[in-house]
Amino acid sequence: MNPLRALVLAFGLGLLVLVLRSPKDPRPAVRYLATGVLVAASAAVVSPFLWLVAAAFKDRSVLNEHVFFPPLGDWSSATLNLDNFRRLFQGDASLTGKVYFSQYVVNSLCVASLSTVLQVLFCSLAGYAFAKYSFAGKGVLLTFMLGTMMIPGVLLFAPVYDMVVGFGFVDSYAALILPGVVTPYGIFLFRQAILSVPNEMLDAGRIDGANEFSIYLKLVMPLVRPLTAAFCLVCFLGSWNAFFGPSVYLHAQQKLTLPVVLNMYLGVYGSDQGVFLAGTLLAIVPPALLFFALEKEFVSGLATGAVKG
Amino acid sequence: MSRFFTIESFPYGKAPFWLLALALVSTLSVVVTQSSSAASRPELVLATFARNHQESYQGIARRFEREHGVRVAVELVHSRALETRLGNALLAGTDVPDLAEIGAGAIAYFTRGPLSDVALHDLTDRIEKEGIRKRLVESRLSLWSSRGRVFALPHDAHPVGLVYRADLVAELGIDVSRIETWDDFVALGPKVVRDLDGDGIVDRYLIDLPMGAAWGVQVLLLQRGVSLFDERGNVAFDRPEAVETIAWYLRRIEGKDRVATECGWGQTLMKAMIDGLALFYIAPDWRTHSIMTDVPNAKGKLRVMPLPAWTPGGRRTSTWGGTGLVITKTTRHPELAWKLANALYFDGAELGRRFAATGILPPLADAWSLPAFREPNAFYGGQRVGELFAELARETPPDWATPYKTQAETRLSDVFLRSLEHFRAHGDAGLKDAIRRELRTAREYLETVIGRNVQARR
Amino acid sequence: MKKRLVPYLFIAPYLALTAVFTVYPLANAAVLAFYQTNGPASRTFVGIDNFRFLLGDPSFHKALANTSVFTLASVALVLPLAMGLAVLLHGRQGRAKGFLRLLLFSPNLVGGIFVGILFTVLFTPRYGLMNRTLHALFGWGLEERFLGNPALVMPAIVVTALWVSVGFNMIYFLAALQSVDKTLEEAARIDGANRLQVFRYVTLPSMRHVVGFVLVTTIISSFQLFELPLALLASTDGKGPDNAGLTLITYLYDVGFNTGDLGLGSAIGWIVAALIFAVSLVQLKLSGLTREQA
Repeated sequence: MNPLRALVLAFGLGLLVLVLRSPKDPRPAVRYLATGVLVAASAAVVSPFLWLVAAAFKDRSVLNEHVFFPPLGDWSSATLNLDNFRRLFQGDASLTGKVYFSQYVVNSLCVASLSTVLQVLFCSLAGYAFAKYSFAGKGVLLTFMLGTMMIPGVLLFAPVYDMVVGFGFVDSYAALILPGVVTPYGIFLFRQAILSVPNEMLDAGRIDGANEFSIYLKLVMPLVRPLTAAFCLVCFLGSWNAFFGPSVYLHAQQKLTLPVVLNMYLGVYGSDQGVFLAGTLLAIVPPALLFFALEKEFVSGLATGAVKG
Repeated sequence: MSRFFTIESFPYGKAPFWLLALALVSTLSVVVTQSSSAASRPELVLATFARNHQESYQGIARRFEREHGVRVAVELVHSRALETRLGNALLAGTDVPDLAEIGAGAIAYFTRGPLSDVALHDLTDRIEKEGIRKRLVESRLSLWSSRGRVFALPHDAHPVGLVYRADLVAELGIDVSRIETWDDFVALGPKVVRDLDGDGIVDRYLIDLPMGAAWGVQVLLLQRGVSLFDERGNVAFDRPEAVETIAWYLRRIEGKDRVATECGWGQTLMKAMIDGLALFYIAPDWRTHSIMTDVPNAKGKLRVMPLPAWTPGGRRTSTWGGTGLVITKTTRHPELAWKLANALYFDGAELGRRFAATGILPPLADAWSLPAFREPNAFYGGQRVGELFAELARETPPDWATPYKTQAETRLSDVFLRSLEHFRAHGDAGLKDAIRRELRTAREYLETVIGRNVQARR
Repeated sequence: MKKRLVPYLFIAPYLALTAVFTVYPLANAAVLAFYQTNGPASRTFVGIDNFRFLLGDPSFHKALANTSVFTLASVALVLPLAMGLAVLLHGRQGRAKGFLRLLLFSPNLVGGIFVGILFTVLFTPRYGLMNRTLHALFGWGLEERFLGNPALVMPAIVVTALWVSVGFNMIYFLAALQSVDKTLEEAARIDGANRLQVFRYVTLPSMRHVVGFVLVTTIISSFQLFELPLALLASTDGKGPDNAGLTLITYLYDVGFNTGDLGLGSAIGWIVAALIFAVSLVQLKLSGLTREQA
């Protein structure tokens, strides 16, 4: 009997006991079962991260010997150390001197935050327009937007690359940010959320003499803050973890973003998995921080975006 | 905080405020640190995808710069990105590196159409005139040729041998110098394949072979001289030797004559080596080196030997992959680029150093007599690995490149899997006929696809 | 008068950027589908030959089958699992809830490439965590080559996708659950309905917009599955053994960028878009999401 089977069996026994103790009132048993399921689901979801943490700190020589951490007796600076991190931070050669890990972090932060801020601005503006104004071509545009959501991005890649080179901003962050800065997904989310803002409020604002833009900015946007927060997180995540675009558009070593740099450690002839994983571990930190800060708003925000309509 | 503006009053909310702040700060930082790279384009830009190549090339690039008074940039690009970027750049016509290192399959993309459309310089005449061709292992040019013209300089010879656990093999009383053919090799099976701890699962196999086709069958087919395509780009794997080899292979991975298991890559491969899950591992030159870095604990326990031959006196090596250097037609300094390419690939002393650092054997035969290639390798018990591979390198088989290689590989894997199914269901009965049928179907499909290519006809 | 211009000003950034980065490339791709290109250089007009080829192409059929299976499996598994977890989590309070919510969402914090590499290791025969767990629980699976056996590749991809998307969609459902009108639920309970009936007849219907939204986005993103198989099956360029992992978009990428025939790639892209459009149209009509509220 291996430990995992023993665990499952023990859990089942506990459930049986609860059911037998109070056959008419299922609540304790249900709650116990629910807790068990949640714990199992969380364990299933989290164990890969445990592997990641272990792998980041394992020395290269034992990286392949143990799945998680070595047995306690083997813990020493020879088996667990910061070697991977040291190599991660040692810097890469480039045309203009050494580039360090901190530079890549700043680059990723720059691209992700700029992209998010611009997306919030443009998508909310468009979403507001679609929600609260009627204008010629509105219906057509809405259908068109829905249609473009269905186009696979890879299909457009070659012509877009063409254009980016033509405009001359290949090897710049504009190439990463501009093509995806206004998405139908974002516009729809804001539109759904703003639909529920009462029109009377807008009219009152107009009577008070406010111009359209400040109605948008000062009256409407504060009401959809939860959605904005949620959208920020989604955009930030998407940009932070993007690999394909940056790997093709960015050339100079000092402009590279984290996913691109980390993937270069996984070479064709031999990979430095430990360093890659150490870098991935560090790369989780900013998005995790953002999520922590936004937790409550994130949950309620997504709802307002998707519920109404 | 002033009374007129607080974070709470930012209309979009707290998160967007902080993100805006972050955006401003990081953009400022980026502008400051990256503004120095606004220098003009160097005369020559070389793109490579291997970190250790970049390090080696930087040194040569600096010397080249001094000798010729130009600037050379060596860029490191992720391999997939490099091929995509090169392809797109050529499509767009600008922002193309002058030289690029590409992997074996990538040449296909560029040689798809008419010869006149190939966006890479035709190097055939140059290597003839400057006498380089006869110094190279001729078969290596097959990877980089299309319709008889050579479009890239080969970086490596990539001969294939077997790495094996010498300590375990010695324990079992096996003398590897007696293994000359695959038959000799397979005969060791009963002695080796064992369930060591009695849990019903075999813990020791003879050799590491992949179960899902891919490289295993191909390496063995190449050893026998069967390449996916021939020199002219026709499908060439529909041959009796292929049928035999596939049937042989199937018997090795399944059934009563099974002697092989798949040990995977990376972390799991290394664990298998340490545990002795398989005793023998197919290893090209580059793999012998990556084993040294990834499995330091196996030091002294491993040795290298040539592949067993298919027939007595037959070829004892194969080949696996390769890297090549192309010069794009958009370069403004083709002569300089050619000189740099020569310096990178055919500079004697540097080649010795590179071998010591990467274990990769260059295709330049006269380099092999350098001391670096004769060094005893402490990791492999003092064995002269360089010498061994140099001898094998002369015999590496050709591996002809075409634009349809990846599709052919998929079809081959298709053949393999269907044959495996047949083998599982019916054993040896009708196996060879089944394999023949599958090979024919694969050939017909490929010929349809090749036939569609309107432009190659021009 | 000025007011009439305002909405156009607001959507101006969207219009401008879309015209440049979506409409023009779309037109380009539309035309390209009737050509055959050879990588970097010339192109030849071939009419509908690309489409004719695809109609009879076993690789394309395989990709279509794989993608459809994946979409069906995604919808059939992700939605109930996400809903189930949301319901379970909804009943908790305070810090446990927040902590569990973060844990279950956490796979979305990492990039696609990492997920691919992670699961390649998890699915390793003999040593992988998946294999070992399955063996410990059911006595099967230790030596199974999940990424090398054509029959097991798609299930492996589905499990990997589940790891990421269940957590994300769970958040949507959790939020929707929070905004369900509690008085309606109370009324139903007072009327004698048990918990299951309350859920089925009161809670679920009031969540139908979110469910519809999640359904549409799941279908669209499932049809466009690309980065995950590419990372998971990197050794075969995303195709897997016998094309078992080939999806419509990885086929598009392979044909367009590896082989160099962007014309054929564009043709595939159009077929994919048409398929998604057809499926979504059916789904949207059924749930009336495009109708605007007063």
